[in-house]
Amino acid sequence: MMSQGTSVYWRKLIRIDDPVQENYLKEFKSPLEIFRPFFYFIINLICKFYLNIRVFGLENIPKDLPYIIAPNHVSALDQTMVSYAIGSKRRNQMYTLAVKHFYDRFFPRIFMKIAANVMRIDSEKDFFPAIRAAVKVIKLGKMIYINPEGTRSETGELLPFRAGVGMLAVETGAPIVPVHIHGTYQSMPPGKIFPKPSNVTVSFGEPIYMDGYIKRKQNEMAYDIYKSVTDELLKRILSLKVRNENL
Amino acid sequence: MAEIEQEIRSMVAKIIKRDEKSIEPGANIFTEYGVDSLLGVEILAGLDKKYGLDVPEQKLREIKTLNDIVRITKEQMSKKAG
Repeated sequence: MMSQGTSVYWRKLIRIDDPVQENYLKEFKSPLEIFRPFFYFIINLICKFYLNIRVFGLENIPKDLPYIIAPNHVSALDQTMVSYAIGSKRRNQMYTLAVKHFYDRFFPRIFMKIAANVMRIDSEKDFFPAIRAAVKVIKLGKMIYINPEGTRSETGELLPFRAGVGMLAVETGAPIVPVHIHGTYQSMPPGKIFPKPSNVTVSFGEPIYMDGYIKRKQNEMAYDIYKSVTDELLKRILSLKVRNENL
Repeated sequence: MAEIEQEIRSMVAKIIKRDEKSIEPGANIFTEYGVDSLLGVEILAGLDKKYGLDVPEQKLREIKTLNDIVRITKEQMSKKAG
């Protein structure tokens, strides 16, 4: 086949072999982090008594870092719900790509910096810089939070998944943890700034490991491999969705 | 050069999974053939593999049609040779 071994080019693009400075992630740590325990104390109360949160599948999260957390995205609450669900120890190891139109607004930025380690991106213009940042997070042995849809759904339904998360996983070798979040759209859909009482469910699926996909790189076009990882992720998130909606 | 154009047409057809005769040289491959931006990168990766052309990612923004791909390939070949 003509395009065998094209992963070499992709690896150059995302600079997978470049060394990463140990202090790279300091840039994404904020002094506001000191408020994080108090913030999640409040979130804990909101989740338990207002959003009636249920969390499933925490045992599926790999014990060893690094890995990719890949949830659907329907509400501004999503990242916080996943952060709450995984607990404080994992939360502090997680880095989140935040789109600039959200990050650049004063209150959302303050909120995000307290809630998480955030990395500002422009998902349309800065696709490769964003992927390169995610590569560095993984190479430094941390957890990266990425929405495989690339943006938030305005309707509450899943959007088509992009192959970028597949590329990141195949080229770094990091497993992907599929996550489905249900109920946040009903609580706080796009355009709303206060949540309504709801029943939120966060389900973690079994991780997708990359060994089998990496072996295919010699014989197949890289994009097709990335796409098949993304298709598998979609399949698993759909399966979690069906379960969450029928609880 | 006509041979290169045919090779590129054939390569692009395989990457975007279309019959090569159905690709119009001036048609926008993203809007008319449903190619997503990462598949566009795969075309650059194909050029890298086939001709050893390390096409910079910025060139992706210039690619809309088969004609653009041929033009960029020729530019990069000249650059490499010269």
